Amino acid sequence: MKVLLTLNDYAKYPFLPEAFNRIKENRLTLDELGEGELGREVLGEAVERVKKVIRDRVYPAPLEDPDLEVAVFMTSLILAAAVSDRVLWERVAVAFSKRTSVFLEAEDSAKIVYIGWRIAGWQVVLEEEGAKMFFRDFIEYAPEYSGKWKLVNRVLSGGYLFVDKVELARLAETAVKKYVYKLLESVKIDYESLPQSFFAAIEEVSREWAARRREFTLIGVKISSKETPKYFPPCIQAIVEALKSGKNLPHSARFALAAFLSNIGYSVDEMLEIFRLSPDFREDIARYQIEHIAGLRGSRTKYTPYKCDNMRSLGLCRWRCEGVKHPLQFFYRALRGRRPRVVEEA
Amino acid sequence: MSDAEALARKIFREYYRRTEVEPPSRLLEREFGFVLFGSKGMIRHVSFKSAMEMNAFLRSRYPKHVYYSSAYYEKPNAERMDEKGWKGADLIFDIDVDHIYTPCKELHDRWVCRNCGAEGWGFVLKCPKCGSERISRKTWVCDTCIAVSRDELLKLIEFLEDDFGISEDEMYAVFSGHRGFHLHVEKEALREMGQDARREISDYVRGVGIVPELFLVKKGRRYTYKYDVDTPGWPGRIARYLLFKYSGESSALDSLEFPLNVWKKIFDEAVSDGKSEIDEKVTIDVKRLIRLPGSLHGKTGMKVMKIDIKELEQVDVLKKAVIAGDEEVVVRMEKPPKKVLWYTLDPGREEFRAPLHLALYLALNGGAQLVRVAR
Repeated sequence: MKVLLTLNDYAKYPFLPEAFNRIKENRLTLDELGEGELGREVLGEAVERVKKVIRDRVYPAPLEDPDLEVAVFMTSLILAAAVSDRVLWERVAVAFSKRTSVFLEAEDSAKIVYIGWRIAGWQVVLEEEGAKMFFRDFIEYAPEYSGKWKLVNRVLSGGYLFVDKVELARLAETAVKKYVYKLLESVKIDYESLPQSFFAAIEEVSREWAARRREFTLIGVKISSKETPKYFPPCIQAIVEALKSGKNLPHSARFALAAFLSNIGYSVDEMLEIFRLSPDFREDIARYQIEHIAGLRGSRTKYTPYKCDNMRSLGLCRWRCEGVKHPLQFFYRALRGRRPRVVEEA
Repeated sequence: MSDAEALARKIFREYYRRTEVEPPSRLLEREFGFVLFGSKGMIRHVSFKSAMEMNAFLRSRYPKHVYYSSAYYEKPNAERMDEKGWKGADLIFDIDVDHIYTPCKELHDRWVCRNCGAEGWGFVLKCPKCGSERISRKTWVCDTCIAVSRDELLKLIEFLEDDFGISEDEMYAVFSGHRGFHLHVEKEALREMGQDARREISDYVRGVGIVPELFLVKKGRRYTYKYDVDTPGWPGRIARYLLFKYSGESSALDSLEFPLNVWKKIFDEAVSDGKSEIDEKVTIDVKRLIRLPGSLHGKTGMKVMKIDIKELEQVDVLKKAVIAGDEEVVVRMEKPPKKVLWYTLDPGREEFRAPLHLALYLALNGGAQLVRVAR
């Protein structure tokens, strides 16, 4: 596949293998990062980035100098990896992929497809204003499994389906997220040869994270102390667990959880405490959405969560709860001491 | 061990002595599981280094049930799942008449309510008398069951070939040894798919999650259908159903206009007509044990049998899968199935003659007593 990448692209997509290689060619090593003015600048910037992710769930925009940007990006991964907490990794991956999506949306199909191929082995045939994509890649990187993202609603032929440019960019965003997460998993730090300045940087990032993490744990305790979760159906419990482990949930899961909680009497603030665990949490947006679902805004209708059938086809349910057709039904029965029998299907 | 079990054991032993069972692909990375005669538990976490070793095991232990993992593992014989090292899995589909309506169930399947003791023929979800869902069932296979499940299998194969681009030589069908078929897809590009991806494929085949609005165009207060009969995938499948249903009124799909709620009903019909009735649990599971083709099914005495897709429509599945002989046996059984395999039985008689292969099935699956065995 031939796609011309400019130096500018390396700044936007510093995770690309060719961008990494440039740094190697320029012989910018860890040692050098630890020393000298340039090294201090890179390390300082990387620390700020990870802290920004921890505080605001935002990965800052790239520096103008592509080489410097790649070095900062790499360094930020090393710092985040050193914290060795998957919840932080997921958060870094989500924040970074959101930064990338802004650039992806402005690219032509060829470049998006190239990036997907380079980091996720996409099998794609370029077409006018989009591409034909191998179904495996579509279902692997679809942001959710409903509506137009559900394969059953697409024109699938011979294993391929047409995906337009906007969708390509969205699929690539998920691919970037998963790829960055994998990079974080694969970072191996040789503490023997790590420059002294790195230890201080790792310490600083860890401290910041530990402070945030404690807040989550407190929230976690609070949820469990309410004693309600043990009455939750397995689907809702799974969503809460996913949130607690820092996973970025699809819209459908967030809606299901919010609608469920609001129906069993959680206040908006109590719900916000739970959604705060989400890696892309923004209080203003979340509050607006939750108030909507709770019927405090807009049409003023209070939404009920999806019924079991819909949970199932949205991929949010893999259980059979005896005699239960709706998650709320499960909750009220369990509350009365008649917890339905649950069989996991897969 | 009952007489029937002892007889089955002998028949199984003879079968494995004279049969060279073909090992699954990538044998070294597969886990095996066995149930032996006379014991209830499953022996798991077994692996083999060669086809010879596998056959030697089958010959010396002649198991009642033989399973292998659809998954490939680094260490298939490790005892803990997290130590096995999952590397990928074949894509498996299961079609079982248990999940499909068939008219013949009234003729062979029985149910008993474990709550009130009511019983009867056919299939019920809950007791018609007391409403309890605690139902125990005794189910049988006949040639009608096979015909119905074969149709579902052919629909599935069409989905896989036309929509998913999987070729005939990347898949094979297997008669499960009892009430249906398995379809195995062994394709490199799909091996590493996780549960979510497999659920999407399963939902696709079952027509789950179709949103009619995405197939329609708004025209005033009504809607028209967006695609034509030549469109691939579900859009074309639904178009062909529309043509079939409304061909009397109009052959042109463009002129069909309905309000959304009417369309939704039509879509439901089109989906239940077009979908293949697979058991989604099997497809979604990436660590499943599945029956080994070439082995015997311990509840039927029939062979779990690989079938070339090309021969699927011709082969007489049940006749080819029985391995026990035709010699007559006298059998005693209360309320025997009226229709079973390719035989019709007289439900009024509790003691009757049957060929050995049928007697063995009645005994293993239904507790029939073997009164007199020739030989």
